[in-house]
Amino acid sequence: MALALASLAPGLALAPATASEDEPVTFTVAYLNEVDSFNPFLGIEASSFEMWSLMYDSLTGYAMEDMQPTPALASEWETSEDGLTWTFTIRDDATWSDGEPLTAQDVLYTYERIRDGGPERATWGVYLKGVESVTAPDDTTVVLQLEEPSALLPLLPIPIVPEHVWSDVSDDDMRSYGNEPTGGEPVVGSGPFRLVEGTAGGSTYRLEVNPDYWGGAPHIDEVVVRVFKSEDPAIQALVTGEVDFVEGINALQVQSLEGRDGISAQMGDSPGFDEIAFNTGSIDTDTGEPLGDPNPAVLDPAFRWALNFAIDRDQIIETAYQGAGQAGDTIIPPAYAGFRWEPPEEDAATYDPERAAQLLDEAGYTVGDDGFRTLPNGDPIGKLRLYARSDSQTSVDVIELFSEWLADLDIDSEVRAFESSKLTDIIYEGTFDAFEWGWYVEPDPSSMLSYMTCDERGNWSDSWYCNEEYDTLFEQQRIEQDDAAREEQVQQMQEILYYDAPYLVTAYSTVGEAWRSDRFACLRQQPDPGGVYLIQYGVHNYVNMRPAAEADECAGEEGTTQLSQEAGGEGGVSTAFLVGGGVVLVGLLAVGGVVAMRRRGTVGDRE
Amino acid sequence: MTELPAPTRVRRRSYRRYAAGKALGALGSLGFMLVVNFFLFRVLPGDPARTLGRGRFTTQEQLEEFNATYGLDQSLPQQFVTYVQNTLTGDLGISLRYRVPVSDLIIDRMWPTLLLVGTSTLLAAVIGIWMGVNSGWRRGSRFDRGATGSSLTLYSMPEWWLGLLLIYLLAVGPGPLPGLFPTGGLHSPDVDPSSPAGVLDVAWHLTLPVLTLTLAYLADYALIMRSSLLDEIGEDYVTTARAKGLRDVQVRNRHAVRNALLPTTTVVALSIGFVVTGAITVETVFSIPGLGLLATEALTVPDYWVLQGTLLVSTAAVIFANLAANLVYGLLDPRVRT
Repeated sequence: MALALASLAPGLALAPATASEDEPVTFTVAYLNEVDSFNPFLGIEASSFEMWSLMYDSLTGYAMEDMQPTPALASEWETSEDGLTWTFTIRDDATWSDGEPLTAQDVLYTYERIRDGGPERATWGVYLKGVESVTAPDDTTVVLQLEEPSALLPLLPIPIVPEHVWSDVSDDDMRSYGNEPTGGEPVVGSGPFRLVEGTAGGSTYRLEVNPDYWGGAPHIDEVVVRVFKSEDPAIQALVTGEVDFVEGINALQVQSLEGRDGISAQMGDSPGFDEIAFNTGSIDTDTGEPLGDPNPAVLDPAFRWALNFAIDRDQIIETAYQGAGQAGDTIIPPAYAGFRWEPPEEDAATYDPERAAQLLDEAGYTVGDDGFRTLPNGDPIGKLRLYARSDSQTSVDVIELFSEWLADLDIDSEVRAFESSKLTDIIYEGTFDAFEWGWYVEPDPSSMLSYMTCDERGNWSDSWYCNEEYDTLFEQQRIEQDDAAREEQVQQMQEILYYDAPYLVTAYSTVGEAWRSDRFACLRQQPDPGGVYLIQYGVHNYVNMRPAAEADECAGEEGTTQLSQEAGGEGGVSTAFLVGGGVVLVGLLAVGGVVAMRRRGTVGDRE
Repeated sequence: MTELPAPTRVRRRSYRRYAAGKALGALGSLGFMLVVNFFLFRVLPGDPARTLGRGRFTTQEQLEEFNATYGLDQSLPQQFVTYVQNTLTGDLGISLRYRVPVSDLIIDRMWPTLLLVGTSTLLAAVIGIWMGVNSGWRRGSRFDRGATGSSLTLYSMPEWWLGLLLIYLLAVGPGPLPGLFPTGGLHSPDVDPSSPAGVLDVAWHLTLPVLTLTLAYLADYALIMRSSLLDEIGEDYVTTARAKGLRDVQVRNRHAVRNALLPTTTVVALSIGFVVTGAITVETVFSIPGLGLLATEALTVPDYWVLQGTLLVSTAAVIFANLAANLVYGLLDPRVRT
């Protein structure tokens, strides 16, 4: 009782937390994943990348429209004729938050640290691969000397850290260096915000504005991150106004929030895809001998290609994705229009079971006496093993639909769901025929394209795909200096994949977001239009958002959404809870009643 | 009354020998756990570098660098030797996911759990025993029916669901009612939890999760207390006490309850052992960064060192709680020393 009374007091005091003139403006965002490390050389989670981008700068940033490289700490750059020397000019007005100037020496120090190996290279090494030397001839110039031309540059999202702070961190300490505020001192950085409170894996982090930020001080005073371990409480916190932004929620939750007073919600396009992947030939990478036991049918490109028309992608979006997603076809999502290849109309990824059956017949997979299709040599195909991830309902739903469509084509299959880590083991053992998973595609397609090369078998390749023509193109585009030529090569690679069908891309994913549009305005989507408002590449929105009262100050800015406030009635969430509450009450009464009835009979027996 | 024991009496050990025996047994279990601990988690499917690095470590080089940094490239026997050496010197390793020493992580996460589960266990035990005594003493009364019925209902409700319901009723506030408590978290972001205002703030944040757990645990204690008190009521000594002319309350508190408390002590002692393992579902619903959540999330990586560390701490807690219960039992009831 005392606890309850004592705890009421601060609750009442904090409840009317409306912003007044001199009160700091705090943007509170709910994350569903905690920051795994504030050390930009160690963390892996997307939320950690978001924090580092708030705390540090990198040489180049990402454009809002299409996520192509834009100037950041490097105000400009030039390439030598042979493409082997890249000269970056570093801004001279950037300072560290402890007052020290940020110079080319800090960039040199950061890059050398990565090139020296250790966890630094594990996290960022891919961006400096093939770099022969890094030099800083003066305080505003950094020169990268390459062994061979690189198509990845000028993309350099590596956070630059202050040499005068990090030179004290030995290689051995780096393994567990948290880079967290100590003794009330914020972490020294150069970004728009400074970390003043937070520990890796903790539940709240606080960043205060860096008034001296070279890009102009943000219009809010504080960013507070609260980690929620499940979605519903995070949504309730948005409804009560405890948080201003929630991301990573599902389509049903977005629907329930739409139309609530002061809240806006959307499904934003996220540059990723989900696919049904086949075992196209698992081998022991040391000996080259076959590994595992893939069904001969899935090893045949013609068989896989036929199944491309057995998938009703519209139904997948409708039932497995609750309408939130786009039907997919190739591994580069529409967000990256330049690199993307569109299948020709006659071969578009449409649902056409008759064509699928015809293609199967032509490839020799005819229906046998028992009513099931056989292999071209007449042997039965048997049961195809289709695996899903048990931690994703979408994955399970898609694989079950796929199994039904296979049955329509007279192909027998069994569905099983495994934990992601267990499924990974199965994939490396080659003991599967098909599974459902997805990838997130970065603005530069190199990583995604590399997963389908022969060298990645036994490493990141999960379809065991290997095609020499594809690999040759991959090597070409990696060093191609002409953007148009590279785009064409990347498109050719998608074409090869599309017809070889190691993956049948099912959907391009979306991410649900909801926010207090009555409190904050001037947010912009990435990619613009159609994209997400937070967890973007770069921290444009944290820097440019304004309190809702100042919304007209950004009204003219290109691409900025003036977030509308829709009036509306009760949302679905509260209805669900009311129904739930009613059920409990009825249940309680019923149980209480039964107990009372049974007890009544024994009252008289006592003593 | 039973017959007196046969002449061949079992000789009772001295309490000191009894205690030493129990302590040695506890140490043995601890040593056994130390070994099992290592191999148990290596059997888990998955590879930490691949799970964590999916889509991040895009080259083979990056994977190898990660494994070399955190000792995952060593052979299993070599890793076991390192593990035993490190554990004996108090070094629990570095978390693969959070990249901080596991001992720091466990200490950080232990306080929220102790506060949450400890408070709830204590409240549930006190309230539950009180309810059990009153229900059992007046069996069939209106109080008994109400208390038993509602505690059973609460017991059967999933904890996460009860938590969500309380969030809706008391944190969001249905219709015109105001929300009184926060929806989750351990404390407000700008409050120092060690200041007086911070303590209040933490209490305010913990009210709903503690309430949820207390309600869920209540039935354990209430029902055991009720039934063991019912057993005692029928005993002759209670009749004797009544015959002596003692008042009802005296009979209950001095005689019946004292004897009925023994089984409840066992339950309380066991629950105290499980305090450090946390309450995974409630920690999830209320986003409280506790040990239970830490361990379950470590399973998906699998973050070997965090799993080993948390299992070691929680088994040690259960073993010590059991030892304590055995030692107290030896004092309360000399018969167990045989």
